[in-house]
Amino acid sequence: MKLALIGVGHAGSRIVDRALERELETGRDLCNGNVLVFDTAADAFDDITHVPSDCQVRFGDIHPDVDADGVGGDPDLGVTVAREDVQELRRAFDAVDFNDVDGLLLVAGLGGGTGGGAGAVLLEELQAICDKPIYALGVLPEADEPDRCALTASRALQSFVEIADNVICFDNDAWRSTVSYTDTAESEADRPYDELDRTVVSHVLTAFGASESAAMTTAAENRIDASDITRTLETGGVSSIGRATLELDRSDDGRSWLPSWLPLPSWLEGDAVDGPADAAEVKRLVRRAIDSQLTLPCAVDSTYRVLVVLSGPPTAVSRKGFESARYWLEQETGTVEVLAGDEPRPDASTLTATVLLSTVTDVPRIDALQERGRTAAEAADESESGDAEFVW
Amino acid sequence: MKLATIGVGNAGSKIIDRMLEFEDKTGRSLCRHVLVINSARTDLAKPDYVPEDRRILIGDTHKKAKGHGVGGDVEVGAEVAKHDIDEIRRAFDDVEIHEVDAIIVAAGLGGGTGSGAGPVVIEELQKMYDEPVYGLGILPGEYEGGRPALNAARSLQSFVQKVDNFIAFDNDAWRSRGQTIEEGYEQMNRELAVRIVTLLAAGEIDETDVAENAMDSSDIMRTLDTDGVSSIGYASTTISNDADDGLLNRFREDEKPVGDATDAAKIKGLVRRAVNSRLTIPCEVTSADRALIILSGPSELISRKGIESARQWLENEADTVDILAGDDPRPNASELSAVVLLSNVTETPRVDEIQSQAVDAQDKIAELEAAREEEINELITDEDDELDPVV
Repeated sequence: MKLALIGVGHAGSRIVDRALERELETGRDLCNGNVLVFDTAADAFDDITHVPSDCQVRFGDIHPDVDADGVGGDPDLGVTVAREDVQELRRAFDAVDFNDVDGLLLVAGLGGGTGGGAGAVLLEELQAICDKPIYALGVLPEADEPDRCALTASRALQSFVEIADNVICFDNDAWRSTVSYTDTAESEADRPYDELDRTVVSHVLTAFGASESAAMTTAAENRIDASDITRTLETGGVSSIGRATLELDRSDDGRSWLPSWLPLPSWLEGDAVDGPADAAEVKRLVRRAIDSQLTLPCAVDSTYRVLVVLSGPPTAVSRKGFESARYWLEQETGTVEVLAGDEPRPDASTLTATVLLSTVTDVPRIDALQERGRTAAEAADESESGDAEFVW
Repeated sequence: MKLATIGVGNAGSKIIDRMLEFEDKTGRSLCRHVLVINSARTDLAKPDYVPEDRRILIGDTHKKAKGHGVGGDVEVGAEVAKHDIDEIRRAFDDVEIHEVDAIIVAAGLGGGTGSGAGPVVIEELQKMYDEPVYGLGILPGEYEGGRPALNAARSLQSFVQKVDNFIAFDNDAWRSRGQTIEEGYEQMNRELAVRIVTLLAAGEIDETDVAENAMDSSDIMRTLDTDGVSSIGYASTTISNDADDGLLNRFREDEKPVGDATDAAKIKGLVRRAVNSRLTIPCEVTSADRALIILSGPSELISRKGIESARQWLENEADTVDILAGDDPRPNASELSAVVLLSNVTETPRVDEIQSQAVDAQDKIAELEAAREEEINELITDEDDELDPVV
């Protein structure tokens, strides 16, 4: 599926930039050069390296409350300035060829004033001018960010879900522990983000970019086409993507002392295989993708629709494995709407399972976010009634 | 029999392609006209034997398809076919229908395009032509899940109502261990193609070798004329080409020349094996309405007596007297094969299973759909609904 990428705010722009980088690295073309980033801060695009400068749009900067740092985290100001500059924003969309893509993906940090506030306005505008599906990728604020970010995110999520056709969420907190901080000074704030951004980008690219890989030189048996992804996402709400990879190279795994004809004892069965991965291995891979590697941890059985893509050398995917993975997902998620496809990459040395859980409705992480948001809202009310202006 | 063959959707197109391949390899000439119809542009590029100008893309202007398939949705599949029916009709303009005896429409019933567009195409063909239209439908396996089962259960009804006969193929009966997905489907498609072509091409090429009991198209069409679901059994044996040993010794397993009686027993054995082998759809043989046996291979290996005893055996087995048996002489064939058509079988456990899986799926879908809006709303609002959206 071809998706135009629209980044809003600092986090959104950064992720879109990473996505372009990753497209180049992996030969998986998602956006066909249809890309735009929007921000309100003066230095917003300083660290943007892959988005062409004529696709970088700064707006709102003439508004009296907007300073060099942009809207200062205030989503209402974000909404106000986006509405004031709406003509300019619309003109910016001319850079995107809507006929060249199957849909749009607006990427934003939901806790930011520009991402969460102006992002919602941009979604409205996009829905008005484009009849393709408009999806959003919303990054949730982290636990160590101030509660007001949680408030912004809780409010922005409502608008995003209302306006966008589906909102994929990414929870940085869930991934923090998996990112190695070694060698990077923790004070260097941007370093861990870099890893997190790469994580979200690789999830998004393999899910939406299924069948768009240049390495896919042979025809898939069950190709995931744009209509499959669109249908999976049409139930709306909030969605999560899981992804896990299996190394297929068996050469130096320390098991070579066993004669090859000897069936492996179960205690030696690792996740590394060559030849067609059998049903149990594929199932284990898919299980890993949704157990621990979801962009948004959620109760898997609260899912409405599922899409699973197995990407790797065609010789590595057994038909039985493919079918049992799909069937297992149906049992696990409790929905019969499970679409499955393969993406043959003959030269790949890994088998990757990407699972899109569309419309998940039981998400403890979002409940916690709303709870923090309420605390922040109450604090704001108190300070307002105490005659002091709430400071964002 | 001379056929116009139409593949709808990915699976249907692949079957047609394999049929053309098998025809090509065995020097048969069955498919006089061929057409594949699909809603996904990339899948239309797959066939090896279907000419470029015999491939039709439907639904490229439909909002939910746009040349990218119908997302496994049978409703959308039917919709796009109805919308583009003129284009499909136009593709038949250059089909000299008097040159064909029947039309066959192949489709996978678990996906969206074959299951949805297939019946629409058939309905149109029935309006346009007097020739019988047969369906060749691939039923999804249990592990393909609830949605494919629901598509198939619904589509099966439309297919069976609209066709003159529906030849069913059960994916589950043909699974085997250790296959990659590519090999798995490829092998199934080949097996199905062999059966269909061996059955329907009987009596087609034969100027030199006039058979005593030659089967012709009208016999096959008579057997198929039941409006029901059919299953095909098949078995073959390789012929050793040691010409010096004499004709009767050309069964591979034979070591000495054998008499007529042994030959007859072999024919019967082969037919028996065909019925007891994997049928295209497992069924209760006794529930068949009519049956047809075709022995295909060098005519000197097919004795009249053998055919007769095979027929009698099947008459007993299927509990019907409506059985035709004949041969299809193929002088240069390297195999002797028996194909058995069981027409209008009414006891097919797999169809019952699919239907019950479909009912469960339909209930599940309705149940989820009823709760969806509310659950989404509950998720995005806080407990007491105190927080306002930003816009």
